[in-house]
Amino acid sequence: MSETVVETRNLTKIYRDFWGRKKKVALNALDLTIQKGEIFGLLGPNGSGKTTTIKLLLGLLFPSSGDAFVFGEPAAKVEKNEKIGYLPEESYLYRFLNAEETLDFYGRLFDMPSETRKKRAAELIDTVGLANDKKRILREYSKGMRQRIGLAQALINDPDLIILDEPTSGLDPLGTRWMKDLILDLKKKGKTIIMCSHRLDDVQDVCDRIAILYGGDLQELGAVSKLVEDQKRLEIRASGVPLTDELKRDLAATIEKHGGKLESFGHPTTTLEDLFLRIVEESKTRPGRRYLPPVDGKK
Amino acid sequence: MTDPALFGILILERDPLTFVNLPGLIQVWLQDAGGFAAVGLVVYLLYALRAPKDQPASAKARVPLTMFMLVMGMVSLLCYAGYIAAWSIGYGRDTVNVVPLVEPGATVPYFPPQFAVKFQPMLLMFGGLFALLGIGQPFATDLFKLRFRRIWALTKVGFLETWRNRMFWVFVLFVLPFLFPAQWFIPIKAEDQLRTTIDWSSLSMTLLLLLPGTIIASLSIPDDVKRQTIYTIVSKPIERFELVLGRFFGFTLLVTVPLIFMTLGTWLFISTTTLDEKAVEETQKARIPHRGQLYFRARSNEYKGTNVGREFDYRKYIAGSKSTSERAIWAFENIPAAMAGTDRDAVPCEYTFDIFRLTKGDENRGVDINIRFTTWQCDQVPPTVRGDGMWRWAEAENEQKYKAEREDIDKRLAKGEIPGVSIKSLDYALPNTPGWKFVNDLAEKYGFYEVASVEVYDYHPSGVPVPAGLFRKAREGTPPTEKDGYRKPRVQTYVKCISDGQMLGMASGDLYYMEGEKSFTENFFKCSFGLWCQVTVAIGVAITLSTYLAGIISFLATLFIYLSAYLIEHLKDVAGGTSTGGGPFESLTRILGTDTPTAQLDRTAGVKTAEVGDVAFSWVFRRYVNIVPDVYAFSWTSFLKEGYNINFEYLAMNFILVVGYLLPWGILSYYLIRNREVAA
Repeated sequence: MSETVVETRNLTKIYRDFWGRKKKVALNALDLTIQKGEIFGLLGPNGSGKTTTIKLLLGLLFPSSGDAFVFGEPAAKVEKNEKIGYLPEESYLYRFLNAEETLDFYGRLFDMPSETRKKRAAELIDTVGLANDKKRILREYSKGMRQRIGLAQALINDPDLIILDEPTSGLDPLGTRWMKDLILDLKKKGKTIIMCSHRLDDVQDVCDRIAILYGGDLQELGAVSKLVEDQKRLEIRASGVPLTDELKRDLAATIEKHGGKLESFGHPTTTLEDLFLRIVEESKTRPGRRYLPPVDGKK
Repeated sequence: MTDPALFGILILERDPLTFVNLPGLIQVWLQDAGGFAAVGLVVYLLYALRAPKDQPASAKARVPLTMFMLVMGMVSLLCYAGYIAAWSIGYGRDTVNVVPLVEPGATVPYFPPQFAVKFQPMLLMFGGLFALLGIGQPFATDLFKLRFRRIWALTKVGFLETWRNRMFWVFVLFVLPFLFPAQWFIPIKAEDQLRTTIDWSSLSMTLLLLLPGTIIASLSIPDDVKRQTIYTIVSKPIERFELVLGRFFGFTLLVTVPLIFMTLGTWLFISTTTLDEKAVEETQKARIPHRGQLYFRARSNEYKGTNVGREFDYRKYIAGSKSTSERAIWAFENIPAAMAGTDRDAVPCEYTFDIFRLTKGDENRGVDINIRFTTWQCDQVPPTVRGDGMWRWAEAENEQKYKAEREDIDKRLAKGEIPGVSIKSLDYALPNTPGWKFVNDLAEKYGFYEVASVEVYDYHPSGVPVPAGLFRKAREGTPPTEKDGYRKPRVQTYVKCISDGQMLGMASGDLYYMEGEKSFTENFFKCSFGLWCQVTVAIGVAITLSTYLAGIISFLATLFIYLSAYLIEHLKDVAGGTSTGGGPFESLTRILGTDTPTAQLDRTAGVKTAEVGDVAFSWVFRRYVNIVPDVYAFSWTSFLKEGYNINFEYLAMNFILVVGYLLPWGILSYYLIRNREVAA
């Protein structure tokens, strides 16, 4: 039987004004259960309640009603944070510290002994690829570098639950792929991950299950593969066959015979991310490669 | 104790606090802090109890309610109910801490609180104690969860933030007073050379440490919230109070480092400067004074000294005349063994008086005074006949014996019959000379020594040697208890002004015995500790307020509370209803009616209403006065610049005061930060 890591029961957050009047319902009666080892995605447009949910789980906000439990402990308990790593949307770190000092600082907050802190910090700096910049203060970092060091601080305690708010924000496609690989790698190690993102492809690539929020309400919940499956349509893939009008006619006739209708016909497209990664890889292996304009309309 | 450089003389409006004052201070602390704690506890309990029983576990964890808190709250309320009942029937009033009635506008003398065992103060104390225990229980429990490593991390990061943001450059401004010394701009007397340096450095240090320290402390936590750096901190397993402590220690460290450098810098400057001899004599010392209590007596027992109409009524005056019976008398209840050692020849008695001239007097001459030193075995009684200015011994027989013996020695000296002694009268005997032995022997035998006439100048420190034998005599046996229950002082010093038409002004701190002397350097560094305490208090208040308020509001509020401390005498007048012209409502009535502050108002309905309003206002205002820190207790600049030793006991009391003052603020910050939604 799988172990429940996060559970929310009727979790509600209402923002009120000074006089106690209702200003906004940021989250309305959210019921969720996240199991150990899952990568769980929170989706929704701005103001839908994703970040509010995360803040409630971390105890940065207090619920107006309902409750949240992490590792079976109420979210208000500090002790649960021992097993949590949190990467905020922006990397809200002290910019006057360098990478080593940053990780040392957060390591101390976990009451980690000096030797463990040093060892862990060195490992993580390597993992996030900042070994050459570890002595530079964060003020001098690019957004992507700050996101990397932010992730490192979230992993300093080797947490069981990792909460990532917009983890690919500010990362270039290479960084994005690296981040997604890292998330999948963490899953393999048995970690539970909650992430929220606007980048749906990222979520689709890594998440096992997702919750879609809108206006503070939970709109959809389930496994990604099931949710994105279109039962009304059929996809045929083939290789080694030239694309001819005859093939098209044959396929259309076969589909019509079974009561269907051929909608489109052509070469499949790859994702832009795959294209970008392929080109970067090719550039690495073929130095001097460059774009040439097509001659007579043909490349 | 205040620090007005009014005359350049140590002005002690109140004695520094010592361990003797500790029980009284603890009792008052329990009453004051406990009063606030009781209000907090009641509000907390009401909030916790009104929450539904099936409230979420998170809400329960955030506002814990224990049986202990409930019981403490109940017992505390019972104590307060008992107090109100006793107060309403006038039973068991505090009789030892009664504020004396003074003329409107006059300064209310400060007396350190004494431990009162009467019913009312004890109930208030226990009510406060139980409330503090109740409200402090979650705080105390969570203290065990604090980890040094986490607090140190937050301390270090707070320190590094200001360091790397180059805030330390502000402290470089400290060198300005030394680059442009005051004597370039204003004429300074030679004897004030060191005093001026100390004054300037002390003022610069106070401003340079207090203002940046308070600003940073006020802005730090709100800035963390604004920049959201707090998210990554409180999402770690830290107790939120650790954040408060970390910030507090970080900024305290921040001001401690420049304070050390500034102190060292000033000390180096003083050490390498060629000082005038007078400045060295008056200031570059750390005298250990043994002080007594001053009272005034004349033929009439009612005599309390004369007020010559000076606005600053710190001193009282005695009239000068050969036939006056007016005396300023210092009573010394105890005599330290160091003053009465057999190896000691004499003990200096130092004094500084104010001369208020009714006539011009003699040109280039001071005023003549007579000083008489007596032990408890040698009682003095005032004259009974008008025009007789001579105080006599209570035991006339002893007086005759003393005079006879003294005359005999003087005769022998005049005839040169005493080998090895060249003086012709004991009046000329000086310590460490053969003739002084006779003075010492006489003083030890009779408990009496008199300086017939000595000249004093306006605000000029002077002194006379007193035979140590007198103090050895004073330490013999146990003085009897007088009719009013007070034990007779071991030594009394009587000062008489002889010069006609002159008034001699004095306050309790103006005459003392020199018990010994310590190092000026040590004293210099001890003085900085007082400043450190002041800044620490400001930082503590600023951080507490910033856990709830916005940064700039916290700063202004801290500044307001802190500046109130410098106006505390006036605030106490308003709070106690002793201010001239009444409280705000009565004052408003006077302004509207164009009445002067001292005019008698008609007892109209409006005036009565204003008075009731003032009573209510003064009650609220007294609560505010209770939260104002006692900054004067931390100011040792006057001691340093006048060359008086700052006892370690005073500094220990300073530290106790800082802890006592900041503890309730700490508990408040614990609740504020714990219940703050940092991401809201």
